[in-house]
Amino acid sequence: MNELIARAKAEKRVLLEPEAMQLLAEYELPVPTHSLVTSKEQAVVAAEKTGYPVVLKIVSKDILHKSDVGGVKIGLNSKEAVEKAYEEIMENVREKAKGAVIGGMLVVAHAPQGIECIVGMTKDPQFGPAFLFGLGGIFVELLNDVSFRVLPLTKEDAEDIIKETKGYSLLKGTRGQSPKDVEALVGLILKLARLVEENPEIEEIDINPLLVYEKGILAVDARVIL
Amino acid sequence: MSNSLVQVFNAQSVAVVGASSNSEKTGHTVLKNIVDGGFEGDIYPINPKADTILDLKCYQSLKDIPGAVDLVVIIVPAALVPQVMEEAGAKGAKGAVIISGGFRETGNEELEAEVVKITKQYQIRTIGPNCQGFNYTPNKLCASWPLIKGEGPVAIISQSGTVGATLEMWAESESIGISGFVSLGNKSDVSEIDLIEFFAADPNTKVVSLYIEGVKDGTAFKETVKKAGDTPIVILKPGRTKKGRKAAESHTKSIAGSDQIFDAVCKQLGIIRANDITELYDYSKSLGFLKKPRGRSMLVITSSGGSGIIATDVAEANGINVVDLNEELKKELVDVLPDHCVVANPLDLTGDATAERYKTTVEIAAKDDSIDFFLVIFGDPIPRAFDIVQELKQQTRKEIVVCYLGGGETEKEEVQKMHQHGIPAFPTPERAVKAVKALLNTKG
Repeated sequence: MNELIARAKAEKRVLLEPEAMQLLAEYELPVPTHSLVTSKEQAVVAAEKTGYPVVLKIVSKDILHKSDVGGVKIGLNSKEAVEKAYEEIMENVREKAKGAVIGGMLVVAHAPQGIECIVGMTKDPQFGPAFLFGLGGIFVELLNDVSFRVLPLTKEDAEDIIKETKGYSLLKGTRGQSPKDVEALVGLILKLARLVEENPEIEEIDINPLLVYEKGILAVDARVIL
Repeated sequence: MSNSLVQVFNAQSVAVVGASSNSEKTGHTVLKNIVDGGFEGDIYPINPKADTILDLKCYQSLKDIPGAVDLVVIIVPAALVPQVMEEAGAKGAKGAVIISGGFRETGNEELEAEVVKITKQYQIRTIGPNCQGFNYTPNKLCASWPLIKGEGPVAIISQSGTVGATLEMWAESESIGISGFVSLGNKSDVSEIDLIEFFAADPNTKVVSLYIEGVKDGTAFKETVKKAGDTPIVILKPGRTKKGRKAAESHTKSIAGSDQIFDAVCKQLGIIRANDITELYDYSKSLGFLKKPRGRSMLVITSSGGSGIIATDVAEANGINVVDLNEELKKELVDVLPDHCVVANPLDLTGDATAERYKTTVEIAAKDDSIDFFLVIFGDPIPRAFDIVQELKQQTRKEIVVCYLGGGETEKEEVQKMHQHGIPAFPTPERAVKAVKALLNTKG
């Protein structure tokens, strides 16, 4: 069993965000530069090393939806901004998530704008791991424009799951927009399939958002439930 | 294990436990259908109160039958079923069909578990309980209702007796026939998995059509479909909506599951999915009789302008290419066709079109490489339509899909002849086009 998963399982919890990112990175899924810090001073050091702007995120096994408790601050451009954000997040969490065990804070490199997608895996009681793909924002939320595939996943399946959605035309490049890196997206879905096959303990994965660029992709936020 | 289904469907002797002289009872109907269906093996009605039913000697119980019994059809109150199954086991029966209801579907889990235990103990392959039996035309064995005798390439597996019977009746009335029909019932032993395996290997079956409300074992389902190889499978699985899913779950206690995920499974396995009974029938018909065109480029040849346009719309919406005609081909056609014909795609031969005019057109267009197959729409009473389609099918490798409508008595005669000769004809342009789409989406 993967060490990260074994530890989380022993402690009966989901993977913390830095652990989820590490797991993704172990399977060569691109994640942003990030560091786990446990003090304001460490946060500043990490931010300067990463380069501004950065994002600060609370790390806690008790907080699943970080934004809801004011646990995320974005676009932090300076030492002062990082310090202020650190304090504010701590205060928010103390107030809105009383008693939550804090594992520290994550300093994450700012991700440039790209097309927002969602890639996920849930376990179907009859057919096992099922992968979901959709474009973020209104495509998923309002139009339910998502597509599914189950294991085993071929390259063709990984291509089809993307091409089947209406949002695909956005990735292909329409109205003067340049085409995005669909090949990298296909690669990511296949790597995710391998990750899921090799780690049957995982019940659910949510990569949201996954940013797609002209060249390359970035799994900005990931949730792994055991 | 499942190979023994071969012995069940090809049973040489059948006992009907609960056979009745009362023509209003299921125990009478089933026995009568086995007799009238022309079953050539031994038939044993079991009824302790009657001497003969339908001129057949009745027996007190299975024990009293002198010879072997391959198949036992059971139509007695649920509480008596375990005892009958014990006797069937002792008799060495290979299969049983339990038509009786009153088991898991009514909360009687224990009774069903008892029956399953006997099934396993004696290795009797059991269909049901709570089902409408089965019909296997190559063995002239209709242990079901209604009585359907016509042999054909389509095997129907249905979790609803009525949906299955409807498909059978359409197949019978159109003279396209069926290879088999199996009503799944509670699937206590034999499930869709065993039946897909059996019919995919059955030389009398070319397409397996299923109405199911849930899949019992997803992993086994995937593996069986993969092993079915080139035999096409069409599935109607309702429960696309939340309420539909709820209705399915209370009907047969199936786990309907996520429709989107089932859809994905179908796509990955090359299963053709039908949305309603009509589609299930039409897709089965086209997969059972037509060969897959090498590509998606279609030429529509019609005597009805309107039908040609409808076909074009449905084709374009379903990823079938209504190709523009080559200039060369156009010239050749203009030279031979009357001036009032519209030489384009759709190609309108107009209301005075004769069978000969269709034939000439297809013969010329068949030489054009940009066309993969033809949709031939007879939109008027056009005699000899069957003759020319049959001739053309022998002349060209390009598939000819027939739609016949608006043709009155002539249509009825011509379509019947086509069906009797294995040429499917569809009653509307949209149904014809969708049936080809299904064909194009098959694996292989």
